[in-house]
Amino acid sequence: MTSAQRLPRFTAAAAQAVGTLATRRELMRLGALARSYGIYLVLIALLLVPSLWLSEYRGARNLGQIVQQSAALAILAIGQTFVIACRMIDLSVGQLMGLIVVASCSLMDGRPEMTVPAILLALAIGLTVGAINGLLNNRLRIHSLILTLGMLSILQGVIFVYTDRSVGAASPAVLRIGNGTVTGVPVAVPLVLVVAALAALLLHRTRFGLYVRVVGANEEGARRAGIDVARVKLPVFILSGVSAAIAGIILAGRLGTGYPNAGTGFELDAIVAVVLGGTPLSGGRGTILGTLAAVLVLGVTANLLNLLGMSAFIQMVVKGAIVIAAVLINQPRELARA
Amino acid sequence: MRKFKLLLAAAVAAMAWSGWSAARAQQSDEALKATFERVAKIAQEAVDTTRFKKKPPYHIGVSAGYLSNSWILFLNQYVKYEASLHPEFADVVVTDAAFNPAKQASDVEDLLSKGIDVLLFWPVDEKSMMPALEKVAAKNIPTVNIGYNFIDSPAVTSNAYVDQWKQSTQVATHLAETLKGKGTIFAMLPIAGSSAAVTQLAALNDVLKSHPDIKLASVQYGDWNRAKAKQLTENMLQRFPHIDGVFSPAGQMSAGVLEAFDEAGRMGEVTMSPGDEYNGWVKWIAKTDKWGSVTSGLDVGRASVIQALAILQGEKVTRARVVSTEYLTPKDAAKLYDPKRPDDWWPSSLPEKFLPK
Amino acid sequence: MTVLTPALRRHAVRVLQQHSIWLVLLLLLLVSAVLSDAFLRPAYLMNLVLQQTPVGITAIGVTLVMISGGIDLSVGAIISLTAVMCAILMNGQSENLPHALILTCLAGTLVGAFNGLLIAYNRVSPFILTLGTAIIVYGLTQIYSGGTASGVVSPGFRETLNHRIGGIVPTMVVILLLVAACGILVQRRTRFGRALYLIGTNPAAARLAGLNLPRVTVIVYSLSGLFAALGGIALLARAGVAGTYTGRGSEFDVLAAAVLGGTTFEGGHGGIGGTIGGLLVLGLALNLVNLVGLSFYAQLIVKGAIIVAASTTYEFVRRSSASLEKPATSRREK
Repeated sequence: MTSAQRLPRFTAAAAQAVGTLATRRELMRLGALARSYGIYLVLIALLLVPSLWLSEYRGARNLGQIVQQSAALAILAIGQTFVIACRMIDLSVGQLMGLIVVASCSLMDGRPEMTVPAILLALAIGLTVGAINGLLNNRLRIHSLILTLGMLSILQGVIFVYTDRSVGAASPAVLRIGNGTVTGVPVAVPLVLVVAALAALLLHRTRFGLYVRVVGANEEGARRAGIDVARVKLPVFILSGVSAAIAGIILAGRLGTGYPNAGTGFELDAIVAVVLGGTPLSGGRGTILGTLAAVLVLGVTANLLNLLGMSAFIQMVVKGAIVIAAVLINQPRELARA
Repeated sequence: MRKFKLLLAAAVAAMAWSGWSAARAQQSDEALKATFERVAKIAQEAVDTTRFKKKPPYHIGVSAGYLSNSWILFLNQYVKYEASLHPEFADVVVTDAAFNPAKQASDVEDLLSKGIDVLLFWPVDEKSMMPALEKVAAKNIPTVNIGYNFIDSPAVTSNAYVDQWKQSTQVATHLAETLKGKGTIFAMLPIAGSSAAVTQLAALNDVLKSHPDIKLASVQYGDWNRAKAKQLTENMLQRFPHIDGVFSPAGQMSAGVLEAFDEAGRMGEVTMSPGDEYNGWVKWIAKTDKWGSVTSGLDVGRASVIQALAILQGEKVTRARVVSTEYLTPKDAAKLYDPKRPDDWWPSSLPEKFLPK
Repeated sequence: MTVLTPALRRHAVRVLQQHSIWLVLLLLLLVSAVLSDAFLRPAYLMNLVLQQTPVGITAIGVTLVMISGGIDLSVGAIISLTAVMCAILMNGQSENLPHALILTCLAGTLVGAFNGLLIAYNRVSPFILTLGTAIIVYGLTQIYSGGTASGVVSPGFRETLNHRIGGIVPTMVVILLLVAACGILVQRRTRFGRALYLIGTNPAAARLAGLNLPRVTVIVYSLSGLFAALGGIALLARAGVAGTYTGRGSEFDVLAAAVLGGTTFEGGHGGIGGTIGGLLVLGLALNLVNLVGLSFYAQLIVKGAIIVAASTTYEFVRRSSASLEKPATSRREK
């Protein structure tokens, strides 16, 4: 069932529960549905409640800023959604994004005419590394977690062999992608929405998307049904690489330069966002909208904690608590195993 | 076949990549020295502060690139302490980017939303902070960079900094002189890629140019982590049967280095470069009466707040307030040792209330 | 070869498969010895093992978790917390030593139990849950330590643990071996250990067989926390001080060692013996790379390549031995 189909059911159940004297069964059903929507409820609560007393938090401007701050992670997480829906994991995307930031800024060096070549280079690197991951995953028969863990280390080494300090500079166009606004709306907003829309269409309305979810749910069964599993898994990794490329361009724009450690840690945040959003690690299902909501929850939390002036140390505890709370609220229906 | 070609292409690309990078690394070191020399001149230029002048109370925003080592923590406390001495400052809000430059950019934007009057910061990476700093400058809010390097940009109103080049040069020169210009050494540097590591190495190489008989056998990155420095040194000890000296300006890592030598029973063969005032390091000096220290310029935290106040009141301000570093002989350095405090401590003038926990 | 009967061949292959990591280690040692005679010195080799001890002790607990099909990403944070806590509790006094050690182990076990309880009674993924716990624990460690590497170790603590027996064998290596032996005992000879393997292979069958899954889950994660605490104490003994991020990244080193040693993420396979082997292979390989003079960054590439190559080899050996296990008739049909 897609989110679009569940919403009317949820509303109907809610109306029923409120309108009549709700029986325990109906409340439990309501509770179950609420749990699948957990992340959206958390997001709405986080957006509305503090606005009541925190003036600088209110309003579209702050929200737009949060989206801009979370844009790179959002795109990365969208790519990871496909990987996880297919019951795999890609730990190398963080360093891949870092490599792309370094390579593209190095090529551009601030020159406007290099914008397009740099974007092409980014896509080429993302595609190639994604393809290598996919091919190795298909051939080597080792768990994707281990394969991409090794790739993480390799990519990090590759970055540092190239440079141990910031190199290059983003061109003005790329800077605008990361930081600029278009009629008051940050450029990042439409960019993320377009990518998300395309991804959602791909996952839910194409045969490829169906195969991705089927392979994730039951690989052996899919194989017996005649699906070429290898031909499904390879493009999934390529998608992951391409998402790293797009996210890398945005990040290059945010930072303005190619910082070698730019991508460190992003892969874990992306995985957390995907799972928080409702895509189970055991695969078989995926929700792009959920992933986006989860990325926003993480971004809103960080923003809120900063605006509240909370000590940096406490911020970490709160972030971890939110991850655990959200994952407990938003439980997948089947038993999940890493 | 297609896969094979793909992997081959990747391998070729990787080789081209490393070739190009090797050539590039050379240029950067030279450019770095030139920058520091130019900076010494620019630091004296005056800054027009009339457009920043406003009435108190002032809200300070501190964007910390990281808060994970004791030196930075003391510096942070110095900022808060100095601010408390001036009633014009209403409060100090500190954000921690934990070494993530993207987070630091977000932190700066959030501080702006909160409504600060001046931004003090030490960057994870100074170039990566530029877009965020430019947003601050666009709002006519002054920024002061704290730390080890001078940022030459219109977005940075002023700098309160310790001349890292001079400090590293002092450390390297003392080491070279104590070694009498001969020997095999290795370098223990902070986090790979950080401006501190880059500057220290460049300064060391510069000093070594006039001491051709000193060989830099290896460069290790201890990440300001004592345990890691110790482990890396153990590897060095195995690799090189004889080590004459170690270049390590960070006392925190020097303590780990020395422990490794001590456990290997090779204390006698090594000459350490001067470290800093890290309690764990001066403890060794008190014990052995050797090597000395070059101060780390912890006062720069206070200097930044004084600078900020001057800017906000429209007074005369230069582009940099430099905190100088000086060499302390072993005897003087040993006096800094406080046996009642843990190793991870720094001598300071902070009152009890402001000391880190 | 006609000398080797099919049964003998199967047995030989099975032995080889179970202990393949040790073959890799032996091979690597030979290669290293050729490249540098430092590797022939026992003191040097002991040093290598010593460097891996904190990660090694932690890996024992994580291996048990992985056998049961779970994963524990919070061990790096627990190491940091316990190292800092132990130092602060000791406060430089030797009379504080016993209760500092006990409280620290308790703290690690409690964090593990927290993980175990949430995983046992909820349908959450251990991957994400332990990740969330790690973030919280890092934050708590920061708050507890105030940001500096506070605390002073008791006199004698470091000296005892850093002492070398006969001048060569470090005390901590002996401790590592003892702890590993205990772990292997639990793994092979207790009902609990067998339960772990069963749960890892087929949780539904385990439940039907009457095993109390939640209880086993809580116990195994608590053990993981306990071993991580011991790892933190070992780290403190090595380093003398502990900062907030002392243990950061250890969880991936532990994972790599476990996987190299044959323990898989799906569960039901592997064991502590293999993990120790994997740990030594990684440690030796990285040391070799460092010795040969490759840059620090090249080491990262080598580390990644080893992880991939060794896992692949292990999978290959496992699959080919599995196909050899099949009766002769079906093989001929292939």
